Amino acid sequence: MTVVGTSHEELEELRAAVRSFLEAKSSEEAVRKAAETELRYDPQVWAQMAEQLRLPGLIVPEEYGGDGFGQVALGVVLEEAGRALLCSPLFATVVLAAQALLASGDHEACARHLPGIAAGRTTAALAVAEDSGAWDPVQIRTRAVRAQEDGSNGWELTGSKSFVVDGASAELLLVIARTTAGPSLFAVDGKAPGVTAEAMETLDATRAMARLRLDAAPATLVGTDGAGGRLMARVLDSAVVGLAAEQVGGAGRCLDASAEYARTRTQFGRAIGTFQAVKHKCADMLVQVELARAVAREAARIADEGGEPGEFAATAAAAHVYCSRAFMSAAMENIQVHGGIGFTWEHPAHLYFRRAKSSQLMFGGPSAQHERFLERLGI
Amino acid sequence: MAHDTDVPDPAAFAAEVRAFLDAHARPAADRAGFVWGEGDDRVAYFSSDPPEVEQAATQAARDWQRTRYENGFGWITGPKEYGGRGLTPVHDMVYDAVEAEYDVPDTGVLAVVGLGMIGPTILAHARQHIKDHWLPAMYRGDAIACQLFSEPDAGSDLASVQTRAVRDGDTWVLNGQKVWTSVAHHSRIGVALTRTNPDAPKHKGITAFLVDMTTPGVEVRPLRQMTGGADFNEVFLTDVRVPDDHRLGEVDGGWTVALTTLMNERATVGNEGAGPVAAALSPERLAALLRATWTLDDHAVRARLADLLADIKATEALNARAMRSLRAGHSPGPEMSVSKLMYGQNLTRAAHFVTDVLGPSAVADTGQWGTYAWSELLLATPALRILGGTEEIMKNILAERVLGLPKEPGIDTKSPFRELRGVRTKEGSA
Ligand SMILES: Cc1cc2nc3c(=O)[nH]c(=O)nc-3n(C[C@H](O)[C@H](O)[C@H](O)COP(=O)(O)OP(=O)(O)OC[C@H]3O[C@@H](n4cnc5c(N)ncnc54)[C@H](O)[C@@H]3O)c2cc1C
Repeated sequence: MTVVGTSHEELEELRAAVRSFLEAKSSEEAVRKAAETELRYDPQVWAQMAEQLRLPGLIVPEEYGGDGFGQVALGVVLEEAGRALLCSPLFATVVLAAQALLASGDHEACARHLPGIAAGRTTAALAVAEDSGAWDPVQIRTRAVRAQEDGSNGWELTGSKSFVVDGASAELLLVIARTTAGPSLFAVDGKAPGVTAEAMETLDATRAMARLRLDAAPATLVGTDGAGGRLMARVLDSAVVGLAAEQVGGAGRCLDASAEYARTRTQFGRAIGTFQAVKHKCADMLVQVELARAVAREAARIADEGGEPGEFAATAAAAHVYCSRAFMSAAMENIQVHGGIGFTWEHPAHLYFRRAKSSQLMFGGPSAQHERFLERLGI
Repeated sequence: MAHDTDVPDPAAFAAEVRAFLDAHARPAADRAGFVWGEGDDRVAYFSSDPPEVEQAATQAARDWQRTRYENGFGWITGPKEYGGRGLTPVHDMVYDAVEAEYDVPDTGVLAVVGLGMIGPTILAHARQHIKDHWLPAMYRGDAIACQLFSEPDAGSDLASVQTRAVRDGDTWVLNGQKVWTSVAHHSRIGVALTRTNPDAPKHKGITAFLVDMTTPGVEVRPLRQMTGGADFNEVFLTDVRVPDDHRLGEVDGGWTVALTTLMNERATVGNEGAGPVAAALSPERLAALLRATWTLDDHAVRARLADLLADIKATEALNARAMRSLRAGHSPGPEMSVSKLMYGQNLTRAAHFVTDVLGPSAVADTGQWGTYAWSELLLATPALRILGGTEEIMKNILAERVLGLPKEPGIDTKSPFRELRGVRTKEGSA
């Protein structure tokens, strides 16, 4: 499925194409505007991302209409998206939903949904967490029961989901619900009867989240009944690697902004970057960004090329812990380096602060992620 | 390179290394099979052994280096005419990776300063006959080398060295004092930075020499460091006569020579991945320690452990990527400096984490295996933030060279050194 050995040059070409696209389409002004709309993204830009850059199909295998690249290529795109704070269904649709479909191993479901996703026609969301926000199979209470007892594949879901990224706008919902066999994955039409989605107020306005209420909503089982726990773990591994790439991009942008300001802003008759208190802050940010980039890219590389048993899971978890911390720290220090101006609504620094904190708290937050990381190391 | 039959591909080279090591060394105890409470529990960066033990360890290091040299692994990247193997840094890394699986003497006493930093400096700047003689001697394990740079008044500001060198026909006469000189007490040779022209700006009046440490007037006095051991020294130079053909580089051009050494210093320090200290950072070992001390269930301890291991994993990823990029023929980026900073910081954090968890048993030795032993590493960690360029200096370099932040004002690179230093230098400082 993976195009192994995508060359350095090809990846840099991809990066340049995405960056110039985003410079044109996801300027700070565009981000602010999109974040104020109900949809929280610009559908026209999303359509162009599909047509011009084929981004929604990047990791979708060719047999389902995509280009079949791996996590490394996706990481390049997500680093750029994170840099630009791009508002788009990319994370929900590709990093979460498409990877869940692929992880389910259900060819029929893949054949039904992935071509639409790859073409940019279908947006999708993955609904896992409930009120606690945890990605823990034990905490899934949404129930699935068979619609009829005739053995057909119809199910009905009842319960509620929270923190569903792009859950209010997605056409396709992939929902984890509990059957008698355990947590399982289901596909639900976003417009199906019994589905209500309501936008949640969010710390980070550039990433929409919704609460879903499911009241006997018609659903189709995806993959094996009861295999949802394992699937959640697999999806979380690849999702945090994607998130880490986004975080690296955001942190890198904060570093660049701070360095630029430190070079040009003068106080006491000299550039503030000549003061070591500021200089060393920037150097500390650089160290963290370099390490974040290294561990995030290493996790993506191992996802594509393979490694020793358990190496991917441990590196993915490490990337999540490290990149969450590094981005948060870079976003905070960026405001500090900018002084008062950094604390204004008009300055972009707070947008990165919001994104950094909200990303750090996704998927259960630091303590859950610490435990997950240690568990992966067998501790 | 692909058609050069002398250059084995990395896999073939690894096999060759393995054959050599199988014949000359024993495999190290299996790390996966690490058992708490078994074997040596030391986690030390410096030695704090009594002199006889240290001498024996130094001898073992030299013997192992000679074995390596005689089998073609003593200087893998060195030119063949000086006893090197003429291979690439990748082969060097392959060698290190394979050797890490064997139980061999620690060669740090020769390698960190001498082979890692002084060797490349001599290679780049010495006269032919010096290279012919000393390079093979160094890489054969005969001549340990030291770096005579720092002085009581020239540490971070290395270009302020005041040790004087005055020309007397075909020789130079050196007078002054060096300090913090690692392994000088084992060394046969050293590279010294001296002031030859106090009327030039400070970077422009320095000359570098290869000093034979057995020359009359060279006096090495051990300094005891806070760990209790004595790995570094003061070196007093009194009317030490050095032939002009032992000069490295041009007269007054020593700063260029110093830069060669410093560049290799950062790479060497950042690269010190292997050894007992690295093993101490392994997740298995840390987890075993927490289990044995009944602290593994403590939530606060687990959170700190996860943070520490994330730092370590990220550093490993950085090193692995640097290696891969080097292998692909790209030149190294800022990774080496970041790596050097993280090496010190990770060990510092680990030592404090572990000793905090141990509490009383890091304060006084209860006799329990693997507990008080950590105090030795703890006491070594302050040095890691100072040696080879302090953290502050490294951060200045990163901010200025990588991020392009402006230099500090007021650093005088134009006035004659004599004016910066005032009376002392005028009097010759000897
Ligand atoms: C274990 C060990 C082994 C060593 N081995 C050798 C060796 O083999 N050969 C050798 O030549 N030297 C050696 N050194 C010396 C080492 O390179 C110096 O100690 C180091 O460069 C710092 O110099 P200093 O000790 O004079 O401190 P100083 O330069 O006096 O610095 C004191 C403090 O001021 C800070 N400071 C100084 N200048 C600045 C600045 N511009 N900006 C911000 N902060 C600043 C420093 O960061 C430090 O915190 C060794 C040191 C140690 C600890």
